[in-house]
Amino acid sequence: MGLLRDWHYIEKAVHIPALSEVIRDALIRALFVRDDRVLPRDLIADLSRVPPVTVKVKDDGEVRKLVRVLNGQESTVSLGLSAEDYHYFRTQLGVGRTREFGAVVRPRTLLTYDWIVPEQRGVQLDFTGYAGIEFGEAHRAIAQVGATWKQLYDKGVAKGHVVPFVPTVPLDFAIGDGLYGDAPFASYRGEFASHVNALRTISPFGHRARVGFEEVANNGTAYDLLHATVPIAAEFFIPVAVALRLEAKPAARKTLTYAYDDGPKLAVALDKLSRTSQTPTWVHVTDAVASKILRPASVADLFTVQVSVGGTASGMAAKEKAIDTAMAGFTSKNAEVPNPFDVPAAAYRKTADTVTRSLFVGEVRVPAKSLGDFVARIRAFGDQSAAKAGVYASLRATGTVSTFPFFAAPKDRSKVYDLSKGVRAIAAKTPGAAFTSRLAHLWEEEAHFMRRMALLRSLKLTIDTAHVVQPLVSP
Amino acid sequence: MASLDYAYRRLVNTLGPERVARSEFERMVYSHDFASLPKVALLQWKLYPDFVALPQTTEEVAALVKLSDESLLQITPRGGGTGWYGGSVPNRGGVLIDMRKMNHIVAFDPDGRTVTVEAGATWKDLDDFVESKGFALPIVPVNAIGSTVGGAINSGSTGFGAPRGGSLCDAIRRLLVVLPDGSLLKTASEADADGHLANLTPLFFGAEGTLGIITEATLRVVPKPEAAKAIAYAFPSLAAAARFLREIVDSALVPYHAALASRDHFIFERALRPDSPDPADIALVAVHGSKDEVADQERTVDGLAAKENGAKLVPAVTDQLWRDRYNNYSARRLSRGLVTSYNLIPVGRLPEAVDRAVEIRDKLKLNGAVQAFLVDSTTAALVPYVLMDDTRPSGGTALGFVKRMGDAAFKMDGHSMGLGLFLVFNLRKMHGRATSFISSVKVVFDPRKKINGGKTLEVWTKYPWPGLRSIPPPGMAVGLEIAAILRRAKPTRDRFVRAYEHGKEE
Repeated sequence: MGLLRDWHYIEKAVHIPALSEVIRDALIRALFVRDDRVLPRDLIADLSRVPPVTVKVKDDGEVRKLVRVLNGQESTVSLGLSAEDYHYFRTQLGVGRTREFGAVVRPRTLLTYDWIVPEQRGVQLDFTGYAGIEFGEAHRAIAQVGATWKQLYDKGVAKGHVVPFVPTVPLDFAIGDGLYGDAPFASYRGEFASHVNALRTISPFGHRARVGFEEVANNGTAYDLLHATVPIAAEFFIPVAVALRLEAKPAARKTLTYAYDDGPKLAVALDKLSRTSQTPTWVHVTDAVASKILRPASVADLFTVQVSVGGTASGMAAKEKAIDTAMAGFTSKNAEVPNPFDVPAAAYRKTADTVTRSLFVGEVRVPAKSLGDFVARIRAFGDQSAAKAGVYASLRATGTVSTFPFFAAPKDRSKVYDLSKGVRAIAAKTPGAAFTSRLAHLWEEEAHFMRRMALLRSLKLTIDTAHVVQPLVSP
Repeated sequence: MASLDYAYRRLVNTLGPERVARSEFERMVYSHDFASLPKVALLQWKLYPDFVALPQTTEEVAALVKLSDESLLQITPRGGGTGWYGGSVPNRGGVLIDMRKMNHIVAFDPDGRTVTVEAGATWKDLDDFVESKGFALPIVPVNAIGSTVGGAINSGSTGFGAPRGGSLCDAIRRLLVVLPDGSLLKTASEADADGHLANLTPLFFGAEGTLGIITEATLRVVPKPEAAKAIAYAFPSLAAAARFLREIVDSALVPYHAALASRDHFIFERALRPDSPDPADIALVAVHGSKDEVADQERTVDGLAAKENGAKLVPAVTDQLWRDRYNNYSARRLSRGLVTSYNLIPVGRLPEAVDRAVEIRDKLKLNGAVQAFLVDSTTAALVPYVLMDDTRPSGGTALGFVKRMGDAAFKMDGHSMGLGLFLVFNLRKMHGRATSFISSVKVVFDPRKKINGGKTLEVWTKYPWPGLRSIPPPGMAVGLEIAAILRRAKPTRDRFVRAYEHGKEE
């Protein structure tokens, strides 16, 4: 989602003599909120421009043609547009003039915020209509990037598979949002990337290129470029479909719901659960504010934990017993409460519409032991900022909890920035925690991190020598 | 290029005389890995390093890498030498860095559930250490006894625990790497940020030591299971054992490990150790969980085995199989060498794949066995091996087996594992048009090709002259294909074990 593009822009900006007196932090803020008291108006006008052309993709052949036009291999005539569209396209892109433009993929749903430096001159690709899903005999699916997670989940179950990863914040994400957006997909056993076998992509030269292997894992095949780039794949090539590793549908499935009235007790229970040999599909945690949004008709407990387990019918009792033991400290337990994911599509979308009204600042990864403390600080911070705070979270087998704090506040960029800053401060005070939002990437100045980002940037420039896929720009 | 004597003095100044070797004997020891190579390979490559260096710290490794700017000698990092395709063998001499003196546990953090270890430690030693602390490794590579931490990461290995613990790459929190310019890089953030905050760890996973030298790894550990049990079954055929493994995946069971080995494997074992299990096509499954769950899983697995007419082996035999799980290639002692083909194939095609492996072995008149294990819900590792005698003129032709097996894996929508020095021709088959993306990684990290150059992406020879500097990768494929054809034309099968031949006749 333009991470390298934003990072590169900031790196270049801090070296401009006129801006070098502005400290990095202040510059990021000024760029993020488009502050015309700090930055020249021309610059802000430039940053506020949006791509003049949006192409609704129906077929990956269209993307191939478009990329060839954008990198100068073919003329606009080969796009086969109607005379009217052709004229519009050329006028908007300024084809024939000497300037570079590229393609950028538009996420279907953004959890947090748009990029700082949008693609100003090029083409925006909208994959909403490119949404087929193909299942094979094996436990894998090939989903076109426009397919929604909910479609994949429902169709997968119907075909005898389980889609192990769920969005921690239940919004109506497309699968591609895990590659060019900020969809918080994860399962108990791993991140979204660990469920990706391969990407079907269009290279910066308009070729179809498969990164990874659709049917098997890609161990022992030289550099694992796939998993190094998954969260920012669309900055190296244009992903059009994802080969996903699913699991077999177990004979029995159950969602166990536990309520807690105390943060520290919850933290102990989650830590203990992650130290057992249990392998639930996912473990979803909500505080009272988030629970009220997901289940408005129910009385919300201080914390609610939902654990999705599957297994043989005969083995479910043993699993449930083991999980109950680990989750000790709960005030009540219920096996009948619906989870946010196994609901009809319309109901899911309705909930998503409500969830999306909150202001999200990104993911904070917290050791399970520190969750109670972290949530209490977030709440206090929300109260201080006059923005009531809540948290969606999911537990990993590693004992880390992915938390997504949110605030009841208007989604203006200044507010987003200030709240992000506050969340960062809280994460910094929490031992072992890491704030991983895009702004956090821009703020981070640790030497090894800077070196890694520089290497990723070099890699992008080496792969995308045609400067077509979200080309880097300088101020 | 500086003279070798000068280079030697500089190396001795850096490490001391006791940790730099240049004797013929020591250089010979490092001129091959686990695979046997015919002598004819020496015509093509300078497999003997000029020097062997044994650093003890990351700083010493960095100093060695910087020294190569003066000496212009190639650097080849090496772990336990348990690889199969020449990834840790020099192709133009130079300095071979043996990492095995860097074998200490650096830190253990039970709260953060991580262990930091130097790259030269073996997996078995690490596993024992972690176990002594009440934890376990989520995944342990198959050659755990000899394989080092850095070596397995560099070869993109998989192994015990993969169905439950995930990929070895996922088990790595962070690596400390000496880059080709001698600088140090931590490949991921200190906190558990996984793919965020520019995690470059996956690029080093399977890199075969071509991007830099891994000196330290921080790995995840998991709590020891409350209960664990190994169960073994003998099946009427290898395909039945393969169908059994496939059924395990389709039943949504997530075992710790599930593997099969063909009857031939146990015939070799019996020839070496009379107390080994009776030869049969055997599947070995290990399950973890609470006591009740383990019992339930065992019942389910029993049911699946019964469907394929699998007979449960007695606990004493099962325990022996589990105890010896890291000894997969003792058959090497029956011949003078052994060739292994490591492939990943779709789980659904495992029964077809094991039959194909046997067919290729028999067509090439080789002695060998088939092993396979589950990696995840889509992937199984197929690891057949054949015996070879590289002292005979026909010995090297056994290498054709690896080529034929790799081709078969590609046809079944899988791929062979490892590129090293011998299988570079598979790179394009693996990645197609994405090969240029993969090559870009080396360009970015090591533009001067200092570290383990001329492997993985291209095949250098020992000759410095234009036109002979490298072999086009398809040339290697043609060479191995010719080996396979010669092998097939050979009128007789090699005889390594009389008992084996007897067993085939039964």
